[in-house]
Amino acid sequence: MHVEFLGVPRERAGVAELEVPAETLGQLLTTLAARIPSLRELIVMDRLHPAFVANLNGDQFVSDPSTPLAADDSVLILSADAGG
Amino acid sequence: MTFGYHGAYLRIDVSQGLVERVPLDEALLRQHIGGSGLGVRLLLDAGAAGMDPLSPEAPLVFAFSPLVGSPLTTSAKFAVVSKSPLTGRINDSLASSGFAVAGKRCGGDAIVIVGRAPELSVLIIDEGKVRLEPAGEHRGATCRATEAALKARLGADYRVASIGPAGEHLVRYATISHDGRHAGRGGSGAVLGAKNIKAIAVRGTQRVEWAHPLELTAMSRDLSKRSFGPATAKYRELGTATNLLTFNRFGALPTRNFQSGTFDEAVNLSPEEMSTTRSKTRESCVTCTIGCEHIYGIGNGSVRVEYESLFALGSLCGVGDADTVLRASQRCDELGLDTISTGGTIAFAMECVERGWLDEPWLTFGSGDALLRAIELIGSRHDLGDLLAEGSRRAAHAIGHDSIAIAPQVKGLEIPGYEPRALQTMALGFAVGARGADHNRSGAYEVDFSDKVDRRHVTLDAVRHAIETEDKAALMDSLILCKFLRGVFDDFHAETADMLRRVTGWDVTADELRETATRIVSAKRQFNLLAGWTPAEDTLPDRFLNTPLPNDAEASLSRERLDDLVNEYHRQRGW
Repeated sequence: MHVEFLGVPRERAGVAELEVPAETLGQLLTTLAARIPSLRELIVMDRLHPAFVANLNGDQFVSDPSTPLAADDSVLILSADAGG
Repeated sequence: MTFGYHGAYLRIDVSQGLVERVPLDEALLRQHIGGSGLGVRLLLDAGAAGMDPLSPEAPLVFAFSPLVGSPLTTSAKFAVVSKSPLTGRINDSLASSGFAVAGKRCGGDAIVIVGRAPELSVLIIDEGKVRLEPAGEHRGATCRATEAALKARLGADYRVASIGPAGEHLVRYATISHDGRHAGRGGSGAVLGAKNIKAIAVRGTQRVEWAHPLELTAMSRDLSKRSFGPATAKYRELGTATNLLTFNRFGALPTRNFQSGTFDEAVNLSPEEMSTTRSKTRESCVTCTIGCEHIYGIGNGSVRVEYESLFALGSLCGVGDADTVLRASQRCDELGLDTISTGGTIAFAMECVERGWLDEPWLTFGSGDALLRAIELIGSRHDLGDLLAEGSRRAAHAIGHDSIAIAPQVKGLEIPGYEPRALQTMALGFAVGARGADHNRSGAYEVDFSDKVDRRHVTLDAVRHAIETEDKAALMDSLILCKFLRGVFDDFHAETADMLRRVTGWDVTADELRETATRIVSAKRQFNLLAGWTPAEDTLPDRFLNTPLPNDAEASLSRERLDDLVNEYHRQRGW
C-alpha cells in the first residue's frame, strides 16, 4: 500500500512516498522503522510519537495500531501540530 | 514579598509624561497570572470596553508574567492588550524577546499607557522613570530602522518596541514590532500611533526573586532538554511553513479569498522548495531553545517568514512567486502591518474587482505587482489604501453589493490560513473566538488533525475539545510560554502548576490552573459584552456556509450545523 510523507517525516524519510506491504497500521509503522532508520525517532513500537499523526486516504486520522489497511489504501504521515 | 512579581504596574500618562506606580493585589495576580490574563483584567478595571480604542483615554497594556526573566525556555514574551480598533473587541497579541525582560526590569508587572503625547514621541522608560523625546526624525521610518537608531543613540542596553508607518497612519491592523517580531493582530500599532508614540525604549535592572530558585533552575534544564525532541521538530527543521504543502494536500489551504482549498503553485512557496533556491538561516528569541524562526534570503536582504504570511500574501491572493511573496512579507514587516489582515483584505478586494464591485482593474488575483502596490497604498493610506486600511469588514460595508458575504473575517478580524469547511472544529474556534477569527487563541485545528473528530463532518462531540484548546491557549498566553512548546508536556496542567509554584511559592494545583484558564476566557467574554458583543457575531461569513469547496464536495458546513456547534459551545461554557 501507498505511504506518503509530509513535512518533517518527509525530511527524515528522504522520500515523498513509497510502497510498503502492510495489513495494519501498526505493521506499517514497524516496517517503516525497520526499513528507514531515520524514522525511528518518530515511531515508538507500533505507534507514532504523539507529535505525528497518520491519515487514511485523506479522510480520517487514525492512531490504533490494529487499524486494518487494504492494498489500495493510502496512508499519509505528518506532524500532528498544525500550529503556525 | 510576592515572588515572581513586582506587585505593581507602571501607569504612564503620555499626555504629560508622568508615571505612577500602582500596586497589584497578590490575589488578583494569582487569579490572572500575567500576560493576556492580567492585561484583560487591567482593561476591565479601567473601563476600557466602553472607550474608543484610538482615544487618548483608552489604555494600552504591555503585560509581563512571573516567568519572564526566568531561565525557562520560551519565557521571554509579553502581551499587548487593548480594545481593538479593527474589531471593537478585546485584543491580546503576543510578541517575544528582550523587550519582555527589560520591560519587566523597569519595575512593573505591566506597563499601562494612556493619554496622547503632544507630538510624535519616543517614550523612554529608564528604571521606572519616564520621559518623552521628540520622534520627528523617525517619522515614516520602518520598525527596524527606528529600533536600530534608538539603540544607537540611547545605548545597547535599551530594548525598543516601535510602530512603522502603518501605525503612524492608524491602519487598523498595524503592529507593534520588537526585534523583528510583531504583536501582530488586531491593530495595537494603531492604538500606540493614536497616542503619538512612535516607539517605547525600556531599560532596567530591577529583578524579581523566585520562591524556589534551585528547583526552578533544575526544571529549566529539563524543559530545555525536552524542547529538542520530536515535539518541536517541525519548528526547528522546517518552521511553520511546513503547513503549506500539508494543508494543500488536505484541501485546507485558503486560495483566492477562500474560493478554493488548493493552490496549484503551493510548492513554490514551500520551505522544502525555498530552501533549495535561496539561503536560509535560523534564529531564536532570547531564552528560547527551539529556534523556530526561519529566515530566507531575497534580493535585497532577508526576511523571517511564517506560514501565515506565505498563505495570506501567497495562495490567498493567488500569487505563487516566492520572491514576490517574501518581498511582500518583508514590506509588511517594514511598514508594521499584520500580514494576515493585509493579505485577507487585499484578497477580498481582488475578488471584488473580479466581480465588478470595485473599479480598480489593476488589482487582480495572481499579480505580484498588484500585491506589492496594494501593500504600499495601505501602509500610507493613499488612494484605495485608505479604504483597505480599514480592514475587509469596513471595506465591505463601503463597497456594498453584499460583499460582506465574501469578506474573510469574524468580528472584523481576517481569517488565518485554515479553510473552515475542511477543518470544521477550527471553524467553530474561529466563530466563537473573543478577538475574532484566530488560530492562536483557539487550537481547535489540533482536533481536526486527530482521530477525535471527522474534520469535514464534526458533531457536537467536537465542542469540548475546542473548549479545551481555547482554555489551554489562554493559560499559555498568561503564564506566558510559547505555544510551540506545548507538545513537550506530558501533563500540561500539572507541570505548569509546578512551574508556577517554583517561581511564586504558591501551592498551585492543576485544577486551579484549569479554573484560571476558564476565568481568563470568561473575562475576555465579559469585556466583549461590555463593548457591545451580540450572539450574531459568533458565526462565519456566508461564503463558508452551505457552499462546499469546489475541490471537495465533502467539505461543506451548513449554517444550521455551525449554529448548533456555537450554541453547544455557549451551553458548555455556561454563558
